[in-house]
Amino acid sequence: MNRKRKHTAVKSMSKGTKIFTYICLIWALLVALVPFVWLILSSFKSDPLARPGFMLPESICLDGYISTFKDLHVMRYFGNSLLISGVSVVISIVMISMSAYVVARMEFKGKGFINVLLYSTMFIPATALTYPVYNMINRMKLYDTRSALILIYSCSGIAVSFFVIKNYYTNIPKELEEAARIDGCGYMQTWAKVIFPIARPGIMTAAVLAFLNNWNEYYWASLVMIDRNKLTVPALLSTFTTSFRTNYNGLFSAMVIIILPPIILYCIFSKFFVEALSGGAVKG
Amino acid sequence: MKNKLSRRRKAFIMAFLAPTLIAFCVFYLYPILTVFLTSFCKWDYTNITNPEFFGWKEMWSNYDYIFNIYPYFWEALKNSAVWALLGVVVQIPIATLIALAFSRKVKGIKTIRNIYIIPNMISSAAMGMIFLQLYSPLYGVVNPVIQNFDKGFSENILLLKGPAFWAITGAYIFFTGTTTLMILGNVMAVPEEIREAAMLDGVSGIKQDWYITIPMIKGTLKTVSILAATSGFLLYNEVFFLTKGAAGTYSISYVIRELAITSPRTQFGRANAVAVIQILAGMLIIVAVNIIYSISFKKNRKA
Repeated sequence: MNRKRKHTAVKSMSKGTKIFTYICLIWALLVALVPFVWLILSSFKSDPLARPGFMLPESICLDGYISTFKDLHVMRYFGNSLLISGVSVVISIVMISMSAYVVARMEFKGKGFINVLLYSTMFIPATALTYPVYNMINRMKLYDTRSALILIYSCSGIAVSFFVIKNYYTNIPKELEEAARIDGCGYMQTWAKVIFPIARPGIMTAAVLAFLNNWNEYYWASLVMIDRNKLTVPALLSTFTTSFRTNYNGLFSAMVIIILPPIILYCIFSKFFVEALSGGAVKG
Repeated sequence: MKNKLSRRRKAFIMAFLAPTLIAFCVFYLYPILTVFLTSFCKWDYTNITNPEFFGWKEMWSNYDYIFNIYPYFWEALKNSAVWALLGVVVQIPIATLIALAFSRKVKGIKTIRNIYIIPNMISSAAMGMIFLQLYSPLYGVVNPVIQNFDKGFSENILLLKGPAFWAITGAYIFFTGTTTLMILGNVMAVPEEIREAAMLDGVSGIKQDWYITIPMIKGTLKTVSILAATSGFLLYNEVFFLTKGAAGTYSISYVIRELAITSPRTQFGRANAVAVIQILAGMLIIVAVNIIYSISFKKNRKA
């Protein structure tokens, strides 16, 4: 039985509703595409100054793209981002899938309190914690190291992962656990061998969301890192205005390259994103 | 036997909770306590390692400085508050309308939906950079549009007081992809029987959305309103990439970072005083949105 609401068919819509729907859809497309179309268009212009705005390029110039790889060494920054985001996602997701299991499936004193505690982190403004965190990183002698960002990313953003994973655990039938217990599995084994593998899709969703968040994170990345060679991709962006000065073709090309990985990641995993953000009600 | 089992159970629970709780203490609890306590301390570039309590009589000195002497606080608070408000009154209606459009069966709807989310998948730093270029008076797209109305216009809108604020706003406010998805998820979860009943009563299309769907998804609307208001209130990246606080565009986050890190005479105690205000204002936003929603939906029911 499908209790979920089905899409309303166009044919059954009144004229007003139809027009209204199309206006919304056109608006959505324009908002999402105009900045990128313009960016890509500009990246092909050998001199964006000579042909500003939406003027088409005279001929397609790819110099900027070549120099993005050859001179800017963009792959190095992708490597940094990949390493930092990857390691911190593994740490935080393992940590949270353990705690979320306990909170979702076991009864103990103070459970409600822990729930509220972790939920509250969603509403604590990270920027308010700027100096204490910065100071802590300094005192741990981690300033300007990749470990600093790994530490920060592993500890922040707990709330979202916690609730995505916890929701998934809650939907796993209790019998599975009981069966495992009867078969003589300890608590640890039950989790590692039975529950964790079943919950993999939910954990995967949380991991993809967290990875993208870390990959895109700018505030802390620009705060604890100075050494140009260790910068993550978003932090690299803030050096662009000085490093490209008047080479606009190079600037545009580099920006196109830089926004590609998250878009590719999204295209591959869009199913996960759509289902996670819509609470599973929308098919990806 | 039973005792041993319950002890093992307890140990297991503790072991599995510990890592997350430690992370919480390191990244949230300890910093928040530091922020609150040191906001009452003299703590700046002259005494980096040992903050000093002002004493009970002068404990509000940092706040006094922030409110009465520091030149950018009120500007920043006003800007951040307006951005928070715009999150609720601009982003949420747009996100809801688009979510309702996405809930209809139109050819290619899935593709449009996926495209609409793309800007939200990219770092706001990158979006800031893109808009910095769009606003460029030399090769951007905004100035040619203005020149249609005012031929001689050649200024950088990011340096004009007033337009600069709206330019920053325009650089993020229309990208409501994730919010739209969260609302859409809730719209699609409205049981079909309710929709069918409404159809039988002759209520369909926009009317149905307004009278049936929206009241049913008010819980989600409230949550996303809080998230939108909070993120507007915390705006930093867009300010940094577009104006660096020039032309009256300071935000609260920008003030904190400037006082604590970027300024040559760093003022940690005062930065933390601003941070306390930011935390309290964040709570106020949650309370305010809750009140607004309970009042407006009560009225709706009576009408």
